Formats: sequence, structure tokens, C-alpha cells
Amino acid sequence: MITEEELDELIICKKCHTLHKKVPLSKRKKAFCSKCDTLLYQDNSNMIDTTLALVIAAAISLFIAFKFTIVTIDIKGLEKSLTIYALFMVILEQHQYIVGVMFIFLIFIFPITIILSMLILLILMKLKKGGYLVQRLLILLAHIRPWSMVDIFFISLLVAMVKLFDYAYIELGVSFIALIFTLILDIIITKNISFYELWDLHTKIYGRVDE
Amino acid sequence: MSKKAEYIRCHICEAVNYVNEKEIACRRCHEDIAHDLQLSYHKTLAFLITAIIFYIPANIYPILISKQFGKTTTNTIMGGIIHLWEAGSYPIALIILLASVFVPLLKFILIIYLLISTKYNLSSSKIDKHKLFYITEVIGPWSMVDVFVVIILSVLIHFSGIQIYPGEGATAFGLMVFFTMISALSFDPRLINNSKGNNFNDKS
Repeated sequence: MITEEELDELIICKKCHTLHKKVPLSKRKKAFCSKCDTLLYQDNSNMIDTTLALVIAAAISLFIAFKFTIVTIDIKGLEKSLTIYALFMVILEQHQYIVGVMFIFLIFIFPITIILSMLILLILMKLKKGGYLVQRLLILLAHIRPWSMVDIFFISLLVAMVKLFDYAYIELGVSFIALIFTLILDIIITKNISFYELWDLHTKIYGRVDE
Repeated sequence: MSKKAEYIRCHICEAVNYVNEKEIACRRCHEDIAHDLQLSYHKTLAFLITAIIFYIPANIYPILISKQFGKTTTNTIMGGIIHLWEAGSYPIALIILLASVFVPLLKFILIIYLLISTKYNLSSSKIDKHKLFYITEVIGPWSMVDVFVVIILSVLIHFSGIQIYPGEGATAFGLMVFFTMISALSFDPRLINNSKGNNFNDKS
């Protein structure tokens, strides 16, 4: 029988599911899969601090992106602004409940949940408190991470703007820039954070959880 | 089956688990990992069929309805792409074509291939199958582009004279994407491990 400590020394590549044995890394070094060159893990001693800073920035820019105008179009003097609030209103007016509810979840509720739970999780891990809550948040994050579609929303926004380009004068709002910031921060966070290592740290900080 | 194939990766916390018949919960996050493989297979198949069924109305019914001074025009997905191509917006037409025609079809084909090859033990490399599954998971949400574009347009073009509404096709399309994603999520990678083929699960 293999002990948990021995199992903790193993890692399976997320892409090709090849089993690897972990080796200690020197500073700023990364380990890649031997079969498909996917990043397995990296030396990242102050991951929690860096990620926490990035998540706070992402939370602020996400708040701005959802609060203010994303774009304003002007067709011969008729103005219309795109905000998340306007989205809710129009969806309710047009009785597009299925698409609307999906849209609100994918664009609004899931991204906010992800950012907020990361924020709470990282603060708690930094304070070394609330082990059970941290565990639940990590599980929640694993479940909803595939369902956040802010990046796809941004591409759709660009497509829609190109479609309108011939008919309307388009003015970019504050939220448009905030949206770009959110996406860049999201990419950096995804590169920086590793859930494998967060779980490792969870075990180190709070000990093994037995239910 | 070799003994090494029983190392599996928890899909929640990514921990390596050594699974025997009795254990079904992950040693670290205590979420279920070893589901019944037959159940996972059938769930994937059922959600895939649902998605394919939704794909038909998604293409037949209009995805976009525009009302211009009382005159109603409708656009299906293919109609919209052809319209854009004729208007000269080639890049946009290509993005929409990729996102809403190729990506869903590719996903259907990939999931069908994975299901058939694991069921009938087609001898191809397991690494390739795992990579295909990974691709399926990554490209999944990108088909939502068209639905999002329609919703954004319906918010922006909302004047008294001219309005744009999402059509029935948009609902069907959104549900189609939803079900393909669920289908991919319910596919258990262990199905690939348990099928015959080149064994790769060596420690390195």
C-alpha cells in the first residue's frame, strides 16, 4: 500500500495524463511534462501574496467593468449605451429567459463568484484560518471555473462592434478598458496560480482533513 | 491491465490517487472520483445526443430577428455568415464560421470518436486520446460567441424604429453549447486508461 506522502510526490499531467514523480526545483524553475511539454508545476514560493495582489486588482477592474458603460453607439443622433444593467433590463423586456439566465450566469455571476472566492480563499490562507471554508471554496472554484466566459464575451463584443461599424459612431466607455484589464489580469492569474500547489499548501497549513 | 494504470488524477484538486475497488472519494478533497465508468459513458452519450438534437433547431430557426420600421427580417447562423461574407467582412465571417459551425461539429466528432474508441478498444495512442479530450474541453465555450453577439446587438439596437431580438435559434444554440460542455465534463478520463492501447502510464 502506498502512503499519502508518497502519493503527494506524484503528479499527473493535465493534458496527456502521464504519471510523473516530482523533483525539487531550484528558484524560478519550471517542470514540464516529458511527453507533451505541458507545464506541470513551478517554483513559486510567494504564490499566495502575488496572486492575492493580482486578484484584488482584478476585483476592482471587474467591478468597474460591470458598473459603468462598456460602449456607447450613436446612430444619427440616437444614443444607446451597453451596460450590464441594460443587459438585464433588455433580457427581461424581451422575455428571453433561457438565453438571458445563461448569459447572466456565464458573464456576471460566475466571474464574480470566482474572483470573490479567490479573494476570500487567499486571505484566509494568508491568515492561516478557516481550513474547512478554504477547502469548500477550492472545490467550488474547480466546479465553476470552466463556466466563466468573460473572455468570450469580450471577443463577441469586438465582433458586434465591427458589425455596427458601418452604421454607427462607436464610443468606448470606461468599462471597455476595465474589461481589457480584467482579461489581462485573468491571464496572469491563471499563469501564476496552480490549484495543485494551492491544495498542497492547504495540506501544509491546515494538515490533512479527515471526514 | 497493468497495476500502474490505477493511479488517477482527481478532477477537483488534481491530487494523484491510488484507486482500488473500495475507495471512491479523493484522499485530499473527499469529492467522488471513481464514478461508475459505465454511468459516465452513458451520461456523456446522453448529453451528446441532446446537444446534437438542439443543434438542428439552432441551425433551422433564426438566431437573430430584426424589426426595421415594421418590416421583419430574420437571419439563421449560416445566413448571417453568408451575409457577412458578401458584405466584405471576411475576418468576422470567419470568426463566426469557426466559432458556431466548426467548433460544435468538431466537438461532436471528437466526443463520438472518444466514446467509440474507448468502447471498442481501437488501438491508438492513449496520449493522443487524452490530448483530444483536453482539446474538447478547451474549445467548448468558444461556440457561445454567436449567441453573445446577438444579445449585445439586441441591447444596443433597441430604438423605436429599429430593433434586434434574439430568435429561437439563439436559445437552441445556447442549450446546445451547454449540453456539449456537460457532455465533455461527464466524460471520465479513466475510460481512456481502461481501454486497450499503448500503455503510457510509466513513471518518468
